[in-house]
This record gives sequence, C-alpha cells and structure tokens, in this order.
Amino acid sequence: MKDDRPLLLLADDDPSIADTLAPFLERAGFHVLTVSDGAAALDKVHSHRPALVILDVLMPRMDGREVLRRIRRGNLWIPAILLTQVGESSERALALEEGADDYLNKPFDPHELLARIRAVLRRARPGERSLSTSWTLSALDLILDRKARRASHKGEALDLTPKALAVLEYLMTHPDECVSRERLLEAVWGWEYPAGTRTVDTRMAELRRALDDDPENPRYIETVPAEGYRFVAPVKGE
Amino acid sequence: MKQLVSLRDFLIKLFNARLTRIIVTALPLFLGLLATIYVQNFLEPVPILAFRMDIGIAALLFGIFLTLLLGAYFFGDESRGWFARGDMDEVRREMEESRRQFIRRLDHEIKNPLTGLQAALVNMSETSADADRHRASENARHALDRLKRLLADLRKLAELEERPLERLPVDIPALLEEVTEAVQSLPAAQERKINLLISRVPWPFPPVTGDRDLLSLVFYNLLENALKFTASADSVEVRALEDGRAIVVEVADNGMGIPPAELPKIFEELYRGVNARGTEGSGLGLALTRRIVILHDGALEVRSRQDDPRGTVFTVRLPVARK
Repeated sequence: MKDDRPLLLLADDDPSIADTLAPFLERAGFHVLTVSDGAAALDKVHSHRPALVILDVLMPRMDGREVLRRIRRGNLWIPAILLTQVGESSERALALEEGADDYLNKPFDPHELLARIRAVLRRARPGERSLSTSWTLSALDLILDRKARRASHKGEALDLTPKALAVLEYLMTHPDECVSRERLLEAVWGWEYPAGTRTVDTRMAELRRALDDDPENPRYIETVPAEGYRFVAPVKGE
Repeated sequence: MKQLVSLRDFLIKLFNARLTRIIVTALPLFLGLLATIYVQNFLEPVPILAFRMDIGIAALLFGIFLTLLLGAYFFGDESRGWFARGDMDEVRREMEESRRQFIRRLDHEIKNPLTGLQAALVNMSETSADADRHRASENARHALDRLKRLLADLRKLAELEERPLERLPVDIPALLEEVTEAVQSLPAAQERKINLLISRVPWPFPPVTGDRDLLSLVFYNLLENALKFTASADSVEVRALEDGRAIVVEVADNGMGIPPAELPKIFEELYRGVNARGTEGSGLGLALTRRIVILHDGALEVRSRQDDPRGTVFTVRLPVARK
C-alpha cells in the first residue's frame, strides 16, 4: 500500500526535540523523516523529495541556513520552515534571504509548528517558486522591493518605518492567510512585547495610512476581528 | 626605490625601538649638562632676560625641559597604564563578582520552575484520575510559562546590546496613553485606576528620538510593577512634563515602598527584593528598563519610602530630539 501522507523532513540535532516532535506530527497525519545534521538533511532532500523540510538553524556538519541555500541553489522549491535558536533580528532577515517560507523561534508550542506546516503546504504550488523566495512582490498598485527595502504605491515611494516595512513583507509573503498579532510580533519583532498587540496595531495603522487603505473597505489589509490581519490583494512574485 | 623603502622601514623601526626612545629622551639633558660644564670653563656669564643667568645653566634648564617633554611623549601612555592597572584590577574583580552573582541568581530562578515541572510530570505519570492529571498538566504549563518568560527576558537583554536601535521621532504622550490602556486591560488590573497626567499647556510635547517599541516596554514595566506592588485601594499615577531639554515621566504609587537597603540593587539583573519574593516576574524587568533608558541617553531614578507617607516614584528622563 502506498503511503499518501505528505512526507516531512525534520532536521534537528537535539534528540529530545526530534523524538517528541516526530510522533506528534505523525499523529497529525504526516509521514516524518528525521535526521540529526545538515549534510544528512541535504542527502534526504535529494533522495526522498519531501513535501516540506523543517530545519534547525544550528546543526553539526552543515547549519540549517546553508542546507536551505544549497537546496535553493539547485532550483528546488521545496517549502521550508527554519527553527531559529535565538530571536535575533539579523537571523530573521537572513531566514528570508535564504528563502525560508516561514520560521519559528525556539521554544515553540508544537501546535504552532503544525499550524505553520499546514499554512505553508496550503500556499505551496508544487515545483514553483514561493513568494518567500521572490525579491520583488507586487499586489495591485503596490510594489515591494525586498532587497532594497523599499515600497512604492501608485508609482510613489512610501515613507515607511523599517518595522512597518517588515510587517508588510510578512503579510505579502503570506497572502490570504489570517496572521495573528502574536505571530507578527514573533516574526517581525522577534520578541514578545507585553503591550505587543497594540504595538502591531500602531504599525498597521501606519501602513494603512501610507497605502491609503480604508479598514472598513480594504483593498490590501483586512482586519479579522479577534484574530489578526489578512493581506487580501493577490500577490505576484518575481 | 626599493632601497629607499627599506631605509624608511629601518628609520621607522629605529624610531620605534625602546632604546632609541630612551636615548632621544635623555639626550637634551645630557647635552645641557655638557653645555654647562663647557660654558663655565670658557665664557663669562651674560645677562638673559631680566636676571643674570649663565648660558650653560640656561642650556641645562632647556635640556631638562626638553627631556621631560620627550619623556611625556614617549612614555606617557606607559606610565598612565601603570597607574591605571590598579583600577583595572578592581573593575575586573567587580565584573567577575557580578557575573558570579548573576549565575547564582539564574540558577535559583531556573531551579524553582524546574522543580515544579518535575513534580508535575511525576504526578502525571503516577495518577490515573482525570482531574489529577489535568491539574498536573496545568502546573506543568505554569512552570513552563515561567521558564519561557525568563528566557524571553534574558534574550531581550542580550539583544539590546546587539541590535541597532530604531531612531525615529516618538510621541511620548500618545505612547503613555497606549501603554496605560494596555496595562489596564490585564486581567489583574481590570479594577484598578491609573491617573495619567500630561501637561499640554503652553505647547505640546516635542518628540523623543528613539525606538517606540522599546520605550513602550519601559513604561509598561514601570506601570506593571506599580500595579503589582500596590493593593487595589492604593493609587497609581503617571505624570509627564517637559523642561525644554528632556521629557520627564514619573510613575508613582503609594504602595508598600522599597526598603532603603534594596534601592541600589533593584536595577540589577535577577535581583529580587523582599517585596518581589513570591510574585510573578522574571526579575529582569527593571534591568531591562534601565538598559533601554540608558540606550536612549536618558536616566532612570527611583525614590521610595516605607514610613508614612509611603510610596515609590520612578523617574524617567529622556532627552528631546534636537532640531
């Protein structure tokens, strides 16, 4: 009988993490392959072609970022989630640069990982580049140049704070997905702020002002009551 | 050309050599001495300036002066280093001691939730009653939350040193309103009233240049502390004014107050005073708060009394953005 559960490759050098996450993900309906170092992860990617890879950043022999870089260099657009050890902002920026589809800071709730896996798989178009690996993203009149850290709307450059730009980047790489404030905080700010949800709202208001987007009748960013935000415009990547 | 370069190298090396420096330094003194002896034997004293001075003595004085000058130039750093070494040892000892203290406190902070977690796991595996298992898993989650909070705050402290600060204009009154509202929405603070006083006459507040999110953390921590260490009958007040150079924000309460002996220590990482024993918190809040204020070129002070009228005032001074 052929196993039609999606195959996940989980690469983490800490056995306590691999040993507990694998059964959890199996129960959730996935087939899980675990490896404990980067070089083995790269081998398995080539031999098994998993539906998604989960890579720890700090691993022996080859770190998670290098693995991802090599996967991408081989024009393999397998979706990837990076598990970052420290919440450094440089690391998050890098995670995007290496073409990760999402990232999660340790320690995390396994349910959160599961939610990300499902969202990434839902977004993935087999064999195609994902938005996370595109340098330029466009939606309606909005263009985001991720490398130059610039955004323009109707041909005019937007004056955005770096945080607001990062929020926009996260939303545009996760279109049509309800993104909670907590998740934005973790992804963009890297740490939880006690007054965090308001912090997110402040930047969202800044974005909406810049985009001239009416929250009641949004073209770009929709508020999902009690949940978070959703980027509703269709996004194209180049 | 090559020879010229090697000659230059040779001269530079010669100039940098210690022996050369000593000789060059002492040379004027030596020449001055020679001149004194020589002149006294052959020449009559001549009037120099207003008083009569032997040319030889003048040469000697000039030599001494030049020697001192050269000595300061060549060996000044060295002697300063020699004098400063004592201070350095002292500083190093203090740093070493504070590092050891930090590890001792960290050990303590980790030990407690870990013990709770261990006990909860044992309970979970040894009991079969659903209610007991549920309680054990709640306890485990609680211990885990404490550990996660500690880790998150440790990471914040480490990251403050590493990542560049956002430097944008921040509207402090708006920020204070936002933070006050956020603190009041905490389940534990629902019934509490916070008085927010912002002077708006004759002109509005100038902006502060800084990282809005970090500054919000400063006021949030101070306000959360004020609520944590006061009873529901006590008052908590936030007041802000501007004195032309800085924006001054005070977070005040008439709660139990901080013992005088503890006041100098409360900003230390993981320090827990008697009031803070048994309350929730990572023990890093005030350390983080002070660090953020200092990164904004500001100052954080505290005044507190335990005898009537008792209470605590934290004062944050943040320089206003220069035009």
